[in-house]
Amino acid sequence: MSTTMLRRFLFPSLNRRYLLRLVILVCFCYLIFGYILIPLRIQGQSMEPTYRDGSFAFCWRPQYLFAPVQRFDVVTVRFTGRSVMLLKRIVGLPGETVEFRQGTLYVDGHEIEEPYVHHQSNWNLPPRMIAPEHVYVVGDNRGTAMSRHRFGQVKKERIVGGVIL
Amino acid sequence: MNTQKLLILLTILLVAGGTLFFLPSDEKKIRNNMAAFADYCSSIKKEPPLETLKKAALSARLCSNPCWVQITSLNIDRAFNTKEFSDHILILKKALTNTRFNFHDTVIDFPADNRAEIMTTLRLAGKTKDSRFTDAYEMKILVEKRDGDWLFSSFTVVEFIEQ
Repeated sequence: MSTTMLRRFLFPSLNRRYLLRLVILVCFCYLIFGYILIPLRIQGQSMEPTYRDGSFAFCWRPQYLFAPVQRFDVVTVRFTGRSVMLLKRIVGLPGETVEFRQGTLYVDGHEIEEPYVHHQSNWNLPPRMIAPEHVYVVGDNRGTAMSRHRFGQVKKERIVGGVIL
Repeated sequence: MNTQKLLILLTILLVAGGTLFFLPSDEKKIRNNMAAFADYCSSIKKEPPLETLKKAALSARLCSNPCWVQITSLNIDRAFNTKEFSDHILILKKALTNTRFNFHDTVIDFPADNRAEIMTTLRLAGKTKDSRFTDAYEMKILVEKRDGDWLFSSFTVVEFIEQ
């Protein structure tokens, strides 16, 4: 790249065409990062070691527009809006029965291997059936006491999208 | 229309628009009360005890007497009078020192005259000696207008995740 081109790239002249391009770019970024690919700043240890406290990721909203939710998907679960969301992993689908025995997850009585869990727990939770239109979500960090970890079944409509990165 | 009439019309429009813009609407008043409530519940590091007492009392003053509180996970479902409410805020502030309260994604609905229903997310962000913590709760808050003031009459934590 010649010096003139580099200078023009770094310090463009503020003409009408440039301003129009700038407006289009701002609108495009607002739409993309405000509604489609929402940037997430992770706070908390509930999904460690997969997502560390203070790291960044993106919520891909169109993920479940045409595809159903699947076991092991990492999703964002909303509260009243999208400013504050929970980051969890789906481990149970509607109609299935989930339980924990000495920290091991069982779905419909079958042991489920969870390679993403690094801190083995001693959680014990009696079997419970997941209601229709609900999914069972848990964080990857099982190193905390069960009473201090927020997990359970949530309505599918609360899922904002999948998580990438 | 001559210039004089046009000027008068413009002035009237400006005054009306300005009045509407600057006069706080009911929604704005409620949002201000929420911001004040969050501020009173928040604790900064090494807050003077008198300031803590004052903030707890001020937070209770934003609530009706009695004020209903429902937190199913803690088995709390009853009315609190102003003194009780203030005492509990004091306990909360002592337990959560160096913690900031904030309301996010607030939606205010007015189902009837002098009554409002708020759906909001309460976010707590704090620091302990060696780590920091965050927590969030979905809340339904009822507000009532009494003698011109909007007062919180009920707080309910919405438990949308069920073990």
